[in-house]
Amino acid sequence: MKHFTVIAILVASLLALLPASAQNTPPPITLTLAGYAVPREAYDEIIPLFQQYWLAETGQQVNILESYQASGAQSRAIAGGLEADVAALSSEPDITRLVDAGLVNEDWKANEFGGIAADSLVVFAVRPGNPLGINDWVDVIQDGVEVITPDPATSGGAQWNILGGYGAAWRGFVPGYEGEEGAAEFLRALATNIAVLDRDGRESFLTFERGIGDVALTYENEVYAGLLAGGEYELIYPQSTIRIENPVAVIDTYVDAHGTREVAEAFVNFLWSEDAQRVFANHGFRPVNPVVRAELGIFENGAGAAAEATPAAEPSSIEHNPLIAFPPVTDEFTTLDIGGWPQARTQVFGEAGLFTQIIAEVQGR
Amino acid sequence: MAEQSQVYGSSNIGEQPPSSRPYVPGFGAWGLRLMAISYLTVFIVIPLLVVNVQGLRFGLDVFWQSISRPEAVSALTLSVTTSLVMTVINTVMGTLTAYVLVRYKFPGKTLFNTLVDLPFAIPTLVIGVMLVLLYGPQTIVGKFLQQELGVRILFDTPGIVIALLLVGYPFVIRAVQPVLLQMDSNQTDVAQTIGASPWTTFRRVIFPIIRPAMVTGALLSFARSLGEFGSIIVVAGNIPMRSQTGTVYVYTQVEAGNMQAASSVSMVLLLVAFAATIGIDMMNWRRHARN
Amino acid sequence: MREIKPRSPLALLLIGIAVLYAVVLFAAPLVAIIYGAFKDGIDPIIETLTDPAVLHAFEVSIGLALGAVLINTIFGLVTAWVLVRQKFRGRGLFDTLIDIPFVFSPVIAGYAMIVLFGRGGWLAPPLFPIVFALPGILLAKTFVSLPFITREVQPVLGALSLEPEYAAYTLGASRWATFRRVILPELWTALLYGIVLTFARAVGEFGAVAVVGGNIEGYTETATSFVFRAMNDRNSTGAYVVSLILCLVSLLILFLMNLLRRRMVVSRG
Repeated sequence: MKHFTVIAILVASLLALLPASAQNTPPPITLTLAGYAVPREAYDEIIPLFQQYWLAETGQQVNILESYQASGAQSRAIAGGLEADVAALSSEPDITRLVDAGLVNEDWKANEFGGIAADSLVVFAVRPGNPLGINDWVDVIQDGVEVITPDPATSGGAQWNILGGYGAAWRGFVPGYEGEEGAAEFLRALATNIAVLDRDGRESFLTFERGIGDVALTYENEVYAGLLAGGEYELIYPQSTIRIENPVAVIDTYVDAHGTREVAEAFVNFLWSEDAQRVFANHGFRPVNPVVRAELGIFENGAGAAAEATPAAEPSSIEHNPLIAFPPVTDEFTTLDIGGWPQARTQVFGEAGLFTQIIAEVQGR
Repeated sequence: MAEQSQVYGSSNIGEQPPSSRPYVPGFGAWGLRLMAISYLTVFIVIPLLVVNVQGLRFGLDVFWQSISRPEAVSALTLSVTTSLVMTVINTVMGTLTAYVLVRYKFPGKTLFNTLVDLPFAIPTLVIGVMLVLLYGPQTIVGKFLQQELGVRILFDTPGIVIALLLVGYPFVIRAVQPVLLQMDSNQTDVAQTIGASPWTTFRRVIFPIIRPAMVTGALLSFARSLGEFGSIIVVAGNIPMRSQTGTVYVYTQVEAGNMQAASSVSMVLLLVAFAATIGIDMMNWRRHARN
Repeated sequence: MREIKPRSPLALLLIGIAVLYAVVLFAAPLVAIIYGAFKDGIDPIIETLTDPAVLHAFEVSIGLALGAVLINTIFGLVTAWVLVRQKFRGRGLFDTLIDIPFVFSPVIAGYAMIVLFGRGGWLAPPLFPIVFALPGILLAKTFVSLPFITREVQPVLGALSLEPEYAAYTLGASRWATFRRVILPELWTALLYGIVLTFARAVGEFGAVAVVGGNIEGYTETATSFVFRAMNDRNSTGAYVVSLILCLVSLLILFLMNLLRRRMVVSRG
């Protein structure tokens, strides 16, 4: 039976090829995109745009196979032999693992966007009317508040959440928990309040949607995705939070083996095009393309609107969703402000990491 | 081993004698033996070897450290305790159900008897999805339990036990049923005639006969539920030290890239489950020896 | 034990408890899933059933489950034969090993395959992609459903009388003819029963497939992986509809099991 299926598929695809090759157009090409859990809806819109673009440019059809799972798990699957051409993951360490495995060239960050496809912020989602009055990190660690976050062992989003709170405390935005030691204490209080620790950002936020917990720590874009799908909760910005930077990279070893380098690179570059960035914005991601950022009024901390020189935008068919806004927060910091990823990766996460030890300790009581 | 296949669902009504057939030579004996051995080697011995090598690859010390990490101990304990609770409930309810199915005529009995095997046929992931639909905090049942009784089913221990009860449901019934069918009704009739209460009749006449089958069913459902994953992954909360079972811990460790820890813990799970099945074999062997 | 009409209050109570327990445990979740699949009307159902990803997922699940059945039927029969009819050193060990997939966490089985065939694995690189491709899923499904056929056939084979076999040999039948004409007919029902159980287990597998398949939509995604993904895509109706179809498939399987069990009772009774 299986053989019949395989033969049938082969025959069918051969038949499908015949007219195409008769017209002397390049044969269709297949690209595999391995993503982390939450940007699926955005990619579902960007992919058809790219397919049109590529067809117009080269006359070639491109099929894109997609796989989405928790960022860490996805990165390990790619390292273990999931031969994707493009990896769109949640955080830099998950690409670094592929660099260490010899799959991605060291220079993956060498472009004007530093290899980052889109930004976001760590925010809170709370129940309608914010009954517990959760407005900042310090409210999240009050006694009896049930916190929902994914598991940093598998999820990139979870690592962002933990670093968001850790950094906010370290930088003095959580009264009573300032500085490095205060930040560690903050993590202890946070870990005590965690009610469910799902494997990825999407699963975790759905647990919150199903009615578990008082506050979900998550990506800003994930809350927007939920609100657009009719979810009933409120989006809360803490005073101080971390800028989430979601990297994307061509997997050099696999594209060379598949002969898909050209189209894979074109796809990744297309993600930075104004249209693709507008799609990201419409799904709640903070765009990285300066033109689209200017359209949405997103500027670096402290920089006024006038300070940023913005090239004129080309007319686009993609309109911004008026329901989505990207307000500034008082203190938007990045991983570099708290020592950078390599340090966070070993000191906070990993088997001997601070958070790993704390969660086992406090939940075991 | 005859006992096992009853529990997988076939009704070997009556005891199969242990096979004591003489070796019939020929029939391409060597070729067949080679086929069987390679099949078991490829599909069972090699994966087992992989897991053991991975678990022990940094030596016994590291293996011991991995399984004595508090998260690992707690996950293993949660697996064993939820499975035990399930086994106790399942043994009582399964024996009762088997008795009812054998003893009484009632409308819908044939359908009931057919549906007993549902957990053998249904994907366990689907069992998990069903439970989310039924006991989720937004459903009528879930809301009622949470708000009125303060019980959280999903993402906590009760959800795990309920999922295991569904998965383990047929084992005790299908083990006890054939034994009850074979039993001589005269014995119970006599007991009742001489004035024994139903409870005494059960305790003194029925129970001793079905006890081995009950234990077999119980051990099998216990072993089966230790390895259960599909339904648990949906209903368990995955919090280390609280709502993370052994198999989910293994999954998280695999996904987190910690293969040595994943292998060590699954070796322990396998050992416990295997001890249960060996218990079944020994019991059958003793019984055959006695007869 | 004789079947009687329940007359005493105790009997009615016992029936009541057994039925109530089954209803709470099974019927309520079944009703919930039917409600979940139909609550948004018929359109999402049609949408799900015409979604190429869903159709492909069912194709993969069913096609590869049949593949697992094929492998396990051939090798399972041979294994049952060897274990019953041949005596050799280590037989007891092999006999015990067969139950391993029954108690083994499928996740770890999937992971063992990645260690073997994944990038930089023990047996890497294989001739063709195994993990994160269809062959890996076939292997995973074969592993988890391995015990059923051997365990169903073994006792029947062990209980067979040898006389008809000797008679056939004496009358000059070849070994193969004897097997096909004399032995196989006796095993048929048990074998079919084993096949049905194997198929059910292989179709429903999730853990091993989740690890080994990589969940590539339209390629390595199976029906159960689709359910898991749809739950996470806020496509709950899709998840419920596919779950319901899997339930219907399992009810069909149950019906077959029941039919076969009756045949077994009749043929042995």
